[in-house]
Amino acid sequence: MRFFNLPPQIVRLILLIFAILVSYLVARTLLTPDTFRDYGFFRGAALSEHISQHKPVFAGKAACGERHPDVLKTLAKGSHKNLSCEACHGVVSQEHLKDPANKMLKPTPQICVRCHEASPSRPAWFKQIIVKDHYSDTCFECHLPHQPNEAP
Amino acid sequence: MLATIGGVFAGLLALPAARALKKKFSKTTAPSDYDASKHKWLMCLDVDKCIGCGLCADACKTENHVPEAPHFFRTWIERYIIKKPAPNSITLRGEVMVDSPNGGRGGFPPSLVPRDEILKAFFVPKLCNLCEASPCTQVCPVGATFDTPDGAVLVDPTYCIGCGFCIQACPYGCRFLSPETKTAEKCTLCYHRITRGLKPACVEICPTQARVFGDLKNPIEDDPLQAFVHKNKVNTLKPHLGTNPRVLYANLDKEVR
Repeated sequence: MRFFNLPPQIVRLILLIFAILVSYLVARTLLTPDTFRDYGFFRGAALSEHISQHKPVFAGKAACGERHPDVLKTLAKGSHKNLSCEACHGVVSQEHLKDPANKMLKPTPQICVRCHEASPSRPAWFKQIIVKDHYSDTCFECHLPHQPNEAP
Repeated sequence: MLATIGGVFAGLLALPAARALKKKFSKTTAPSDYDASKHKWLMCLDVDKCIGCGLCADACKTENHVPEAPHFFRTWIERYIIKKPAPNSITLRGEVMVDSPNGGRGGFPPSLVPRDEILKAFFVPKLCNLCEASPCTQVCPVGATFDTPDGAVLVDPTYCIGCGFCIQACPYGCRFLSPETKTAEKCTLCYHRITRGLKPACVEICPTQARVFGDLKNPIEDDPLQAFVHKNKVNTLKPHLGTNPRVLYANLDKEVR
């Protein structure tokens, strides 16, 4: 067989190059994920998979405010106004969401001390106490946790 | 015979064309209410506001189900203690000591350095620096790590082969090989939270607003990011590496690496 009177070795060469090219294109098509290059040089579906496979654990302060607006109002008056509820009370559990009778964590003095124990590494503007020199180790005798400057 | 070969080739060529056509007309994979190209997330950290309570490191482990062992962290806190210089040493500062017991998760134990020997001490929260030119993305041999258009750097666990190149490449030590999935893991900027309109867990839980998080493409009124950059002198970690991090630090000491 002859194309345009080309010598057979050239024809074979052309066919070979063509076959390599086609098999490359076919392999690339079959191996490239569907959503590749949706956003960039990666599989676009990885984004939506990541979002759908992970569910938020922390509910956030706004979610607590839906059921406890009064507590948030009290909190906003004191110097703990920027604190997130879950910082002291722990993660809002599914049990608490289903049945409010399953109470959230009741903060202990250890939770206060975690932030307020004096340390040379803490910034000077932050209120700190040396626990063993402080009046009492039961914080809530003198401080309302939601309004720390007020006495109960 | 020639016609047969031609036909086969034509058929094979039609396959990629059909694929390309299908892709053009099929729907994109983005979640219906979130468009990654319409956001650009940024994190700012104020060293002078961090009190080292470790709630962020704790919250991150809870939120992202990070392995419990004390050397797997997506965010952690480092304590820097700079000692006073020895007498007649002609230096302004002495030895620098850095520690991070259990990533600062349970708070920090009192330091072994007596208070009168400390020149100054502070806490530095660390996380993925969200580099614009991320070394971890460049070295991944299978393209499993990628920069999303909204600024997070994520790992595709179905493609990661766990070779660990990215862990060595990250100049900030922000990656680890998960013993559970045997793939590289890192801070995802709580991608599952920010796409649902929530803040990342560490930002949500921080009691002193040492962490500020926001969207550059959708600035809100009294934008905390704008205020942060306006009020503070900001810097990034290891700027000489040219990674161009998008995690900005305020009041950073030169000893922080």
